[in-house]
Amino acid sequence: MTSTESLIDRRQMAYIAAQASDARVNVELETEGMTLNIGPQHPATHGTLRIIARLDGEQVVWAEPSCGYMHRGYEKLTEVRTYPQVTALINRIDWLGSFANEVPFILAAEKLMEIEAPPRAQHIRTILFELSRIANVSLFLGDLGVQLGAVTPVFMAFRDREYVLNLIEAATGGRFHPNFDRIGGLKDDLPAGFVDETRVVMKKLRNFCDEIENLLFGNEIFQSRTRGIGVIPKDVALQYGLSGANLRASGVDWDLRRDQSLPMAWNKADWKVWTHPDGDSFARCWIRLQEVRESTRIVDQLLDSIPSGPVMAKVPRIIKVPEGEAWVSTENPLGEMGYYVVSKGDLGPFRTKIRSASFNNISVVPWVLKGVYVPDIITILASLYFILGDIDR
Amino acid sequence: MPKLPGLVKGLGVTLNTLVRTTTKGSNTIQYPHEKEAPPIRARGVIALREDNCTSCMLCARSCPDWCIYIEGHKELAPPRRAGGKPRQVNKLDRFDIDYALCMYCGICVEVCPFDALFWSPEYEYSEPHIADLLHDKNKLGEWMETVPEAPALEAGAEKKGKK
Repeated sequence: MTSTESLIDRRQMAYIAAQASDARVNVELETEGMTLNIGPQHPATHGTLRIIARLDGEQVVWAEPSCGYMHRGYEKLTEVRTYPQVTALINRIDWLGSFANEVPFILAAEKLMEIEAPPRAQHIRTILFELSRIANVSLFLGDLGVQLGAVTPVFMAFRDREYVLNLIEAATGGRFHPNFDRIGGLKDDLPAGFVDETRVVMKKLRNFCDEIENLLFGNEIFQSRTRGIGVIPKDVALQYGLSGANLRASGVDWDLRRDQSLPMAWNKADWKVWTHPDGDSFARCWIRLQEVRESTRIVDQLLDSIPSGPVMAKVPRIIKVPEGEAWVSTENPLGEMGYYVVSKGDLGPFRTKIRSASFNNISVVPWVLKGVYVPDIITILASLYFILGDIDR
Repeated sequence: MPKLPGLVKGLGVTLNTLVRTTTKGSNTIQYPHEKEAPPIRARGVIALREDNCTSCMLCARSCPDWCIYIEGHKELAPPRRAGGKPRQVNKLDRFDIDYALCMYCGICVEVCPFDALFWSPEYEYSEPHIADLLHDKNKLGEWMETVPEAPALEAGAEKKGKK
């Protein structure tokens, strides 16, 4: 045997040995796959949403959200309540932007009764609607940092959200549950000093947006954790029925405030619908940041042009809505929220179908979680931004 | 000029806030020691003016979670003018609001046709026992002292008659 042959032999032997050891390691370390159960009680799910994720190592191969832990049966409850009582209930659906929940229901009832709120009421409604959007989304901007491990933004968000909640409380009497919207108008007019106070607060909130942009959105760690994570392409977003900022972040130019002609005052202000072509987590966060800015602009412009007059149209004291069916949806802080009200001429609705934005927004979770790494689950869930009450109703 | 790293920029925001809170004071209110005055319209607790109540049951019926309990009886009161017939008045035996159930929607205050119910911004009435949250008519009457005047309205508003 020559030395070359033995060398080749040795090489071959080494190769075979490496192959064998690799195979053994593969057999020994073969992961069987693990089911990771996130929730129903988990700090990152802000509420009681359960995500069941099948993992292969660090990667998710299959994931499914399981909702319904907080089902309160609003659709059924509306059948045994009168119209004024329904408004008291439904502002608990999305508890962060509660005034916005009342508006589509009231608009649907007004559509059935063929009345329209006076222009002053429409203006004040729009202002309060946008204030609740700011209160809702500014919490998201702070909460987002917490979910990614940055604790500072949440304190700033709670500080500045407090000003908005104080405004809502001064006008309506309730911080979280205004119950201020009535069929035909509003319960009461604005208290004196509200307009000046709101202008000051809007300035503070624009400042807050700049702070968050510098603090969080410019941060390299934040960017590397959100850019390219959880990309939802345009067609998928449309297929899953996403709405609101999640849809706009996928590049779809769609905003019910602009596209619909409702008896509200959005068309009297000059504002912009922001879209982002990327569709990743960063885009969704960025769109919401811009939305807060646009909302402060809308509020500022509407404050300048509040018409004078009554805030309540002439409606009977005991409200009976005539027979018929109506569907009204508005662009709520979380997305499209609509009410399909069927009336049989009684004191309360015969049937109500509530289309809340979060339920459709989390329906994309099984699609978007496929193939992501475990830490990114939280990023994606946070950037999709759902309120549990809004999912389960 | 090289672009400032985002991390440094973020730290600048934190530093700004630190300087602001140490020099100008923070927004935190140390609750039991100092209190924030709630706005006039704040829905804290419902006060009852017993004389105005005719026990018509409108509030109890329109309450979404049925937390108002009313019992009453009819009584003959002396006539207003001399020589007239005795009047029939409704006397209130029981008027309870269960604040353990109440969801502070304000529908009862709104439907009351005789101005017997009012909102007060008072909020410190938590109890160690849930049964103590049932306020009877004496306790509800005591809240009347804390009811503020309705606030002035913003310019351009049309003044309404009541509330």
